[in-house]
Amino acid sequence: MKIEDIINLQNKALNEIEAAADSETLEAVRIKYIGRKGLIPDLMKGLKGADPTDRPEMGKRVNELKNTFQEKFSERRNQIESSRTESGDKTFDVTLPGQWRGLGKKHPISYLMERAIDIFHALGFTVADGPDIETVFNNFDALNHPPGHPARDATDTFYLSDGDLLRTHTSPVQVRHMLKHSPPVRIIAPGRCYRRDTPDATHSANFHQIEGLYVAENVSLADLKGDLAHFAHEAMGPETKVRFRPHFFPFTEPSVEVDFSCHICRGDGCRVCKQSGWIEIAGAGMVDPGVFEAVGYDTGTVTGYAFGMGIERIAMILFGITDIRDLYENDIRYLRQF
Amino acid sequence: MKVPISWLKEYVDFDDSVKGLADKLTFSGIEVEGIHSAGDGFEGLLVGEIRKVDPHPDADKLTICIVYDGNEEHSVVCGAPNVKAGAKIPFAPIGTSLPNGVRINKAKIRGIQSSGMLLAEDELGLSDDHTGVVILEEHWEAGTALSEALGLPETVLELEITPNRPDCLSMMGIAREISALYGTKMKIPDTDMNEADPPVEKLASVEVADTTGCPRYTARVLANVQTGPSPDWMQKRLKLAGIRPINNVVDITNYVMLETGHPLHAFDKNLLENGRIVVRLARPDEKIKTLDETEHVLTADMLVIADSERPVALAGIMGGAGSEIQGNTDTVLLESACFEPMTIRRAARNLGISTESSYRFERGVDINGVEWASRRAAALLADLTGATVARGLIDAYPEKVSEQSVSCRWETVRSLTGMDISNDDIRSILESLSLNVTQADNAGLTVSIPTFRQDLEREVDLIEEIARMHGLDKVPTPSPQSRIVADAEDHRTRTLIDIKTRITGLGLYEIMNYSLVSKALLDLFDKSDAAVRIELPNPISSDQSTLRTSLIPQMVETLGRNNARQVSEAGFFELGRVFRNTQEGRLENERLSIGLMGPVGRTGIDKRNPVKGEEMFLWVKGVLEALLESQRIPDASLEAVDFPEFEPGFSAAVIIDGQEQGRIGIISPEIRKEWRFVEPVAAAELAVDPLLAHISDSVTSRPVAIFPAVTRDVALVADLSVRHDDIVRAIYDAAPGELEKVELFDIFEGEAVGDGRRSMAYSLTFRSAERTLTDEEVNGYHSSVKKALNDTLDVIIREG
Repeated sequence: MKIEDIINLQNKALNEIEAAADSETLEAVRIKYIGRKGLIPDLMKGLKGADPTDRPEMGKRVNELKNTFQEKFSERRNQIESSRTESGDKTFDVTLPGQWRGLGKKHPISYLMERAIDIFHALGFTVADGPDIETVFNNFDALNHPPGHPARDATDTFYLSDGDLLRTHTSPVQVRHMLKHSPPVRIIAPGRCYRRDTPDATHSANFHQIEGLYVAENVSLADLKGDLAHFAHEAMGPETKVRFRPHFFPFTEPSVEVDFSCHICRGDGCRVCKQSGWIEIAGAGMVDPGVFEAVGYDTGTVTGYAFGMGIERIAMILFGITDIRDLYENDIRYLRQF
Repeated sequence: MKVPISWLKEYVDFDDSVKGLADKLTFSGIEVEGIHSAGDGFEGLLVGEIRKVDPHPDADKLTICIVYDGNEEHSVVCGAPNVKAGAKIPFAPIGTSLPNGVRINKAKIRGIQSSGMLLAEDELGLSDDHTGVVILEEHWEAGTALSEALGLPETVLELEITPNRPDCLSMMGIAREISALYGTKMKIPDTDMNEADPPVEKLASVEVADTTGCPRYTARVLANVQTGPSPDWMQKRLKLAGIRPINNVVDITNYVMLETGHPLHAFDKNLLENGRIVVRLARPDEKIKTLDETEHVLTADMLVIADSERPVALAGIMGGAGSEIQGNTDTVLLESACFEPMTIRRAARNLGISTESSYRFERGVDINGVEWASRRAAALLADLTGATVARGLIDAYPEKVSEQSVSCRWETVRSLTGMDISNDDIRSILESLSLNVTQADNAGLTVSIPTFRQDLEREVDLIEEIARMHGLDKVPTPSPQSRIVADAEDHRTRTLIDIKTRITGLGLYEIMNYSLVSKALLDLFDKSDAAVRIELPNPISSDQSTLRTSLIPQMVETLGRNNARQVSEAGFFELGRVFRNTQEGRLENERLSIGLMGPVGRTGIDKRNPVKGEEMFLWVKGVLEALLESQRIPDASLEAVDFPEFEPGFSAAVIIDGQEQGRIGIISPEIRKEWRFVEPVAAAELAVDPLLAHISDSVTSRPVAIFPAVTRDVALVADLSVRHDDIVRAIYDAAPGELEKVELFDIFEGEAVGDGRRSMAYSLTFRSAERTLTDEEVNGYHSSVKKALNDTLDVIIREG
């Protein structure tokens, strides 16, 4: 055996590695050269018969050959493996439709309610709940509606045969909560309400409100404004401004209506805000002492604010909905838009 | 309320634009809902004089009028019944336009040339009256601009008066607010008049039998009244305020009502038996015909004004037809009174009448303003109808109402509003509102409340006045402070939101249906709950007469509506309340419903193949399982139970922890037919609160097993009555703890396995947490599972 034999074998082996086009051929090359009965182990055995003076040199050469083979083999194997493709030589049509079940969506009313809940959670409000079927006391009496108040009429309110009623606002949740808890109280009450309106583009037999109540020592109208301003910024964008207009509600005094600057025109006036630059969002005010008296709170030590907003109304403004009944049609093509 | 600016200026001066005034009013609590301009677009319209009226040769109802426009004559065909030679009328010449944009062109009407148009009020945009052309006062020269003759254009504010401010239901009430806002003085109209004998007591008598319903009643008598139309300026103001002129006497009572807020009534005194007024409750079934010619049957809680014989008016609501002012009325009894709000409200509501008068009495009029209103009307009657006012006033006012005092602390004003406002400002605001300060010290002040401000009873009421007059824009906007109240937690809310989020992640859309449904819809699905339904005694319609007892009917209805609109597939859910009467009382529970139609369970493009009942059922079950798993609810299973709305066999109860908590199935063919579904439709409904109770929040994690798993398959042929659940349970019972997972990977029915039987193949995965299992061990487990299946169930194990 001569050194040339080793060099020849190396050239041959490396050529075959290079020429192997797939892993099967490459594997055959590996077995042929470094398998148990391969050519390189053969060469090792042949070292014994070589000229003793050449032996160290040749031993070194064979080792080098083995290492080089291993190196080139690994290199080639990596090349082959990383070039293996799914398409083979076919061209895949990447424009075919995707195949994964799509996501559903929440109803726009839920979407808005959850956003509101989320924002008020950050201010430390928790959700309070009450039944849709309420007592006259919780819905009217305790909320300072005098006997004979028009809202009490059977033409405006759904009464049940036992004299209870379907709540006309979420405010009775305030009453329920205060009857059970001492101040401080910081709650929001999202929920469904009912009024005996003939259904039309802006009225439906049930609708949703979200109510807020904060009672503690020294709560002021300014606290209400600050908290609602935070809500406005989170819900409608940080540039949103809040303003109060005086109004009247039986269960708050002073009472205000709350406007947010229009999210579309930013106050310049547009179709959505009817050119006023402002959108009426909520009714609010300082809890009337009559309400505190009804739930047994001491009007000398605590004050509180309350606010309420109609979710459908806000949905109509935000989403440009022209008929409230569309929200209850549940046409999937409609719901997909939100 | 409609408020013409020029009328307002009669009582108060203010130096501001209309827009400026509107803003001031809105931001002090009287919302200006609109600003209208009556008489815009009158360019080119003239006063015309009708010189001649001829009948139209070919139409009975038309006339040919010769109209002089101050320059020349025009021939105009007209349909109005009130045209007559000499009348001055609004005339639109050829080439002009009406306020509504209609252009006047030459036209032939029934063959006769017509050059121009004579105008009625509706065509001028003044009212919707189209009964005849407007007849102008005679002194106007033909050719005068019509806007000049009508005193137009005129700006009218549309105001929303909140129910606590009945004092603002009048021109003078609004003027009083404006005088406070602008710091100007009110101008009070003159009520000077001559009174003549005999004194009124000689001419009429008043008896108030119900002083609760009528705490004050005044009457005057006016003789020698000349009835006729009221002057143009008064008619114009009434119309601008939305009231139709009738005759001078009635118009004056309405005018003073709009001016002062006190409804008045004028009777023809000669039609009152014995000149007597009795204010009393109606007798049961007593009848009265009101001015609108409607006959009402009264009940004993309704207050009437009667003469000595019969009711002549519904107190505070409407006069009677038998005592109204006639063309030949010459003596008037003028009523100015105060009625109790609830009494008026109840009667008006029960009789279904609402009038300008009842609207004001229901909200409360100023009992001490009654006399001034009477005097003002009498002065106008004397002035405008030539009436002689009998001396004095009959005034039945047994319990005088005096001004109340209310105190207010300086510091409370500042702490409740958060506004930085000085004591001096507080004081001057209250004084500007005609509240006289009777006492003031370091702590606060006391004011006396005029009786026209019945809404001011407490300290907070004064604070509201101060806040609104000072300006709510001065309420500061502090940075919000998060504040956590002790024991605050919102677990339920977060869980419900999470459940909804998860279901949308499964591809379902949330729907919302009304809580009120029709009985027929509920009956279609499940008649058995009829006894527990809560029905409204007074629904708006039968479609919304009953509170829903289940969410499934509307779910299917929703799918049906979508199906009818060619929506081929949909997956919906709803979270909502159901209501029922039970022996334990009325229950109101949250439920979750799921509904599927079409190939929603397929993700591929394989949507065309018809959907089979089996796969539809398994889809809805899959949604349910995924949902329960997402909330870590253990021990949920289905048990075949036939429910009325489902197809027998495809109907199951959802059992959670041994309790039935819902139902699931394929909607029955009878119900599907109602919405013409041709493919199966699936629905499920779950009680939400028991579900929440089972949600486990505690998780104990374990490291995942690192030793290799070994799988073995078991194939068997079983009778169809052997359920998958039974097989899986038998496998687990027979296998050791090393059995990690059992998966059904093949199911086959067909001739090869025989009728009524099916082949099922399961893959069993074994793994030890401590070591690598040997083949021998796993083979042993495999054999004992097969043996146990063979021994305990009616199955044949397929080997090989």
